Amino acid sequence: MTGGRVIRFALAAAVVVGTGAALAALSSAPYTAEPTDRAIVRLAWRARGERVRECHRRSAEELARLPQHMRQEEVCERRILPYRLQVDLDGARVVDELVRAGGAREDRPLFVFHDLSVMPGTHHLQITFAREGTAEEEQEEEGEVDATEAGRRARETPERLGLDTPVVFVPRQIVLVTYDDEGRRLLLASSGGAP
Amino acid sequence: MRRLLARADALMNRLYGWRYNPLYHSGAIVVALLIVLLITGIYLLFFYRLGAPYASVAALTGQPWSGRWVRGLHRYASDAAVIAALVHALRVYAHGRSWGPRTLAWVTGLILLFVVFVSGWTGYVMVWDVQAQVLATEGARLFDVLPIFSEPISRAFVGERPIPSAFFFLNLFAHIAFPIGLGLLVWLHVSRVARPGLLPPRPLMWGMIGLLCALAVLWPVTMGPAADLFRLPGRAPYDVFYSFWLPLARALPAGAMWGLFAVVTVVLVLVPRWAAPPRERRPAPSVVDENLCSGCEQCYLDCPYEAIAMIARPGETAGRSALVAHVNPEACVSCGICAGSCAPMGVGPPGRTGRDQLTAVRSFVAQWRLRPGEGGGVPDAVIIACDRGGGGIARDGEFAGAPVWPITCAGNLHTSVIELMIRAGVGGVLVVSCPPRDCWNREGPKWLEQRIYHDREAELHQRVDHRRVRLAHAAAAERAVVADALQGLREEIARLGAADREADADLQRECDTEEAVR
Repeated sequence: MTGGRVIRFALAAAVVVGTGAALAALSSAPYTAEPTDRAIVRLAWRARGERVRECHRRSAEELARLPQHMRQEEVCERRILPYRLQVDLDGARVVDELVRAGGAREDRPLFVFHDLSVMPGTHHLQITFAREGTAEEEQEEEGEVDATEAGRRARETPERLGLDTPVVFVPRQIVLVTYDDEGRRLLLASSGGAP
Repeated sequence: MRRLLARADALMNRLYGWRYNPLYHSGAIVVALLIVLLITGIYLLFFYRLGAPYASVAALTGQPWSGRWVRGLHRYASDAAVIAALVHALRVYAHGRSWGPRTLAWVTGLILLFVVFVSGWTGYVMVWDVQAQVLATEGARLFDVLPIFSEPISRAFVGERPIPSAFFFLNLFAHIAFPIGLGLLVWLHVSRVARPGLLPPRPLMWGMIGLLCALAVLWPVTMGPAADLFRLPGRAPYDVFYSFWLPLARALPAGAMWGLFAVVTVVLVLVPRWAAPPRERRPAPSVVDENLCSGCEQCYLDCPYEAIAMIARPGETAGRSALVAHVNPEACVSCGICAGSCAPMGVGPPGRTGRDQLTAVRSFVAQWRLRPGEGGGVPDAVIIACDRGGGGIARDGEFAGAPVWPITCAGNLHTSVIELMIRAGVGGVLVVSCPPRDCWNREGPKWLEQRIYHDREAELHQRVDHRRVRLAHAAAAERAVVADALQGLREEIARLGAADREADADLQRECDTEEAVR
């Protein structure tokens, strides 16, 4: 084998080895998705809010504009009342927002999902989740409530939920605040149970 | 970019030879790797448990002989497939082969790449380690901004309750279902080409698989810590080829990520539109002169894009073939290979048919004859070089004292051009084509070689001294290869002596006469 061929062979082998090494290295590159040592309060729950029915009567002109088969005199829409979520951390308000029901017609359950970053240590956490608005039209029908409707109302999230507790956070810990459907209350969860 | 690729091609040709240059086979390598993924994937499936994803993968990884290396091969093959697909796309784009009739191949290629990414994503989620957790939660966050799910899917990953097995089942289903679609996409991808080369040459294929196996043994794949929904994801090994978007996704809002994805997608899908030259500069598709077409079907057989069909000859067929060639202009890329395949010179792109080539080469030879010097000014050697590769000399006019006659593709060259040059007294003709697997028109060098040396229809006539004709393959940056081939030809010419020169070599007139006699 001539000198040139040896060099070429060595280069060819080096390219193969280098490519393989690069492939393996890039296949398992170390990365820290969350570089800080902070902790997280994660608010995540699903709530069944109070359903209300809002009706209005169509005028004669409105009815005349509609095709024959769509001339319904009273039109009712159902929606779920929103809730206001307020979170105070060590006395400072960190979240204050109106949580609307899901879906284009706001007739799906409410979903809360928030991540709040906190320093490790003990913090005082206060959460209120309170219904906004009233349900006058629905109340008018109180006398007609059937068993299914009664069951649905029993599963509704209470008008007001609250949590007021000190929490100890360790670095990189995620503390979950969620709604307990059975106990109808907010509770804390973390790895190994409540923090 | 084209210059960079040419240099890379030249280096790889030097190291591995053009037959086994992996850059030339990048598309076929992807297919070979997909087959490896399919086989190893089926094997790994036997050990995967939906109820205990992390534990089952960890147990598999703990078996060095029956598990770990197969998992490593599966993973490294998926990574190599991404590299090969990107190289393939880059070459196609840089070579200007992404528009016109090749649009379907470009778009289906993008979909293929997307499906490979999605399959890889779901594959990593199956492991359910830290990387899987981040991939799943980021994916859920992205999908939650789209108004398609009745409930946010992020809720599945908050730790409120254990991840349901249904999630891992759906993920596994997607990991299997997407690759099944790959077969159909590959078929669509190559549906407009004749004789697609779906696998690389065996030495290259087995060498590559061997390398990946060795890598899987010597550099075993690892797992990150098990996913923990109550801990922020710490440092863990990530696969850059499939998780490259995570740093961006974690820094940008979900809406911005979708916007970015939409922009990148639109830009890539519209490559065939904006990479195409202006309409007036686009080469015209081939046309058929039905008076000259003998119905031999050779152009139909040679066309690499299945753009030619044989149809019933319209009108009076008395004394003529019943069939005549018909070019579909929507499928024709104007490679001109049909012009090289047509003995009676009745088909080809306007200005590049066999007859057009003969007209041009007559003036080319005449201008050399006019020059004073030994041999009446006729050069000892002439180089016919492909404009795309061909050592990058096609536009030089002259190379090492030999005049250069450029041609758009070696397959476009009609062998009568070589014959005319030799009969005009040129000592020898060196034809420099691109390496066969790198031909921009797929089969130009292959057909030319068969026409010169193996009597394929439109062959180089036996009356031509074949010792005076050489065919060399050189990439755009391989001038040294051309120089070596020219040196070899000149040595041969010196041994053979001067060529017999015909005072009036006029092939076109001869062809016309033959046609009239027929």
